[in-house]
Amino acid sequence: MKIKKLVCAAVIGAAVMMAGSAASAEGTATIGVTSFADTLEPNEQYFSWVISRYGVGECLARFGLDGGLEPCLAESWEANEDGTVWTFKLREGVKFSNGNDCTPELVKASLERTFEMSERVPGFFDLASLEVDGQNLVFTLNTANANMAGCLADPLFLIMDTSIDNSNIETAGPVCTGPYAFQSFVPTDAAVVVKNEYYWDGEVPFDSVTLKCVDDQTTRSMALQTGEIDIAYNLKTENVFEFEGNPNYEIQQLQSLRSTYAFMNQNGALGDLALRQAFLRGLDKETYCSVLLEGGATAGKAPVPPTLDYGFDELVDENAYDPEGAKAVLAEAGYVDNDGDGYVENPDGEPFSLRFVIYTSRAELGVYAQAAQANLKDIGINVELETVSYETLLDKRDAGDYDLLIWNVLVANTGDPENYLRENWYSTSANNTAGYSNPEVDAKLDELAVTFDADARKDLIIQIQQEIMDDAATVFFGYETTYLFNSTRVTGVQMYPMDYYWLTKNIKLAE
Amino acid sequence: MKKKNFFLENKQFTIFFILALAVAGIAVFAPWIAPKDPLEAVMMDSLKAPCAEYPLGTDKLGRDLLSRVIYGTRTSLVMTLILVAVIFVIGTALGIIAGYFGGWIDEIIMRIADMMISFPGLVLAIAIAGMLGPNLTNAVIAISAVSWTKYARLARSMVLKVKQNLYIEAAKVNGTSTLKILWKHVLPNMLTTMVVTAAADIGTMMLELASLSFLGFGATAPTPEWGLMLNEGRTYMAKAPWLMIAPGIAIVIAVVIFNMLGDSIRDVLDPKQE
Repeated sequence: MKIKKLVCAAVIGAAVMMAGSAASAEGTATIGVTSFADTLEPNEQYFSWVISRYGVGECLARFGLDGGLEPCLAESWEANEDGTVWTFKLREGVKFSNGNDCTPELVKASLERTFEMSERVPGFFDLASLEVDGQNLVFTLNTANANMAGCLADPLFLIMDTSIDNSNIETAGPVCTGPYAFQSFVPTDAAVVVKNEYYWDGEVPFDSVTLKCVDDQTTRSMALQTGEIDIAYNLKTENVFEFEGNPNYEIQQLQSLRSTYAFMNQNGALGDLALRQAFLRGLDKETYCSVLLEGGATAGKAPVPPTLDYGFDELVDENAYDPEGAKAVLAEAGYVDNDGDGYVENPDGEPFSLRFVIYTSRAELGVYAQAAQANLKDIGINVELETVSYETLLDKRDAGDYDLLIWNVLVANTGDPENYLRENWYSTSANNTAGYSNPEVDAKLDELAVTFDADARKDLIIQIQQEIMDDAATVFFGYETTYLFNSTRVTGVQMYPMDYYWLTKNIKLAE
Repeated sequence: MKKKNFFLENKQFTIFFILALAVAGIAVFAPWIAPKDPLEAVMMDSLKAPCAEYPLGTDKLGRDLLSRVIYGTRTSLVMTLILVAVIFVIGTALGIIAGYFGGWIDEIIMRIADMMISFPGLVLAIAIAGMLGPNLTNAVIAISAVSWTKYARLARSMVLKVKQNLYIEAAKVNGTSTLKILWKHVLPNMLTTMVVTAAADIGTMMLELASLSFLGFGATAPTPEWGLMLNEGRTYMAKAPWLMIAPGIAIVIAVVIFNMLGDSIRDVLDPKQE
């Protein structure tokens, strides 16, 4: 009797629980993400990316599925002949998620807030003035910019309502024009976004969406398997095996625009070109990508990946994998192992090792670094790995405290590699802490900034890349393939080559 | 003859003593036992399942897992013994000083000790290791910093007890130097208990070191270390479970052996048993 009762209770309990979870799941979805945002202030570091990814922030223009520019809050735009005056025609009838009208004045105020607060703006364009002209916004620049619309599509320039009290924007988040609006945000835990009742571009499918931070890759994969999350971002090749052939999951992959490379600090031992050449020739990048990462990346050699048409195949890599050649270069330059410890000493006879700083949150970085360490041991270069958190890595980069430092970045954050090339290899760029300086590269980057013709731009970018490769300035490990896994409970999940857009209005429950 | 009786009388001790010697033997003779170089990466053999050539399989970089587990014994055992020795010496010394001299020096040492135990041990160790930067030496320093208090408190309470004995008074009256009193009269009377505590701690300390390495605050790649190997294998758990099974079982075996050895030593040495 008693047992019967218990069973009965258990069955009822289970039924109630199932009904409960089904009811709460109606009109909601959960997405497993990795997040680096400590606050929701869009002008701090790269936190605006998170606001854009979560379907809250929108810019004047956006990048489509093919990577091309599309209108967003601006319907159209045009430049004058020399590219110093840009006119953006703003869309009418757009409202912020609090119901306020998104007027040209407010768009201007929002952009001005960014110009004032973010140190990254000068890397994009050099603004003289910004005026409102009816429904138009007119940007006047000090120096010409051929890619102004692409620059303004970077999430840094997302449009938020500045007419309201934004004093606790760090936790409450900005009020923007996207399909969703922030409801709550707990750093490193979760953000909840709710439907924007006033969205300008059609019906928003979910009442609320939870974006749950699951930083550990294995845990994220398991959460998707148990149904705790519906979509998992940033899973890797090794997870394909767990979902392949299962009709309940959808797997998408995209040859990404991300490049993984390592800065070589020329202010240290790597100031010697011969050592850098030997280093590069010692690395079997083809095997790292095809065997170790199981095809999860394309082997690298140049700054811009082959997914963008900037002459990847024409570029000549004189430092391709060649361990014997590497040893010869070392011997010729006076790097010889005299003390018999298996590692060469520098030409002064001093033993040395190279400090390779990596961070933990991207698993493939560790694979590259360890494989490089093993490869270089064979040619006699001693590499020590230093694994740190991403924040520490940033500090070390800014302080120039490394021999090699891993970096993983989107190469065309404005739709074009110019910004990326300038940021990393221009001799006076703040990001260039490796001490790389080539007057030729600087001159060509300056020329690129004022070149509008697409073919001429391509030519210049190819030449710049060749210079950087000939200088053996940087270790280009590979260009990763990104994956997106989702349960078939939801549809409309799409991968964008610029990964600024995760939660979009197209993601909805499957019928 | 007497020795043989001792080992026969304490069968449990004998068994685990032999097993512990075997573990130490594996550590010492690793280069002769291991079939391959633990650092040699054959990248074409990445993530090979256990087979004839690789009895325990290979890891991501195609390194032989068996050799890495064998060499891992070296890292784990040596570092654990150093760690236990450090906290044993520092803790006991500070405890004796606090207990014997009393007064302000006692206050200072014991209040620092109180501060240290007011945090969960491993959490504080993680914080310290995080500040010092990840490597095995720093991990040993971090765990030492939070673990010496146990020995200091134990030593202090025993010194307080020994101090009241008449023979200490007698020694003082005789004009024996303080150092000699501590060395000849105090230390020998408490050493047994301290050694038993230390022996029982080896297993725990081994686990704590492995935990720190697992969390990325201890050993750094490519050092073969069990905790680190577990962490490296975690990403491939579904695809290559042997990456976690081998070092995991190694940790279990080593910790069980040293815990049981510590227990047996206590049974042998504890005067209450006699």
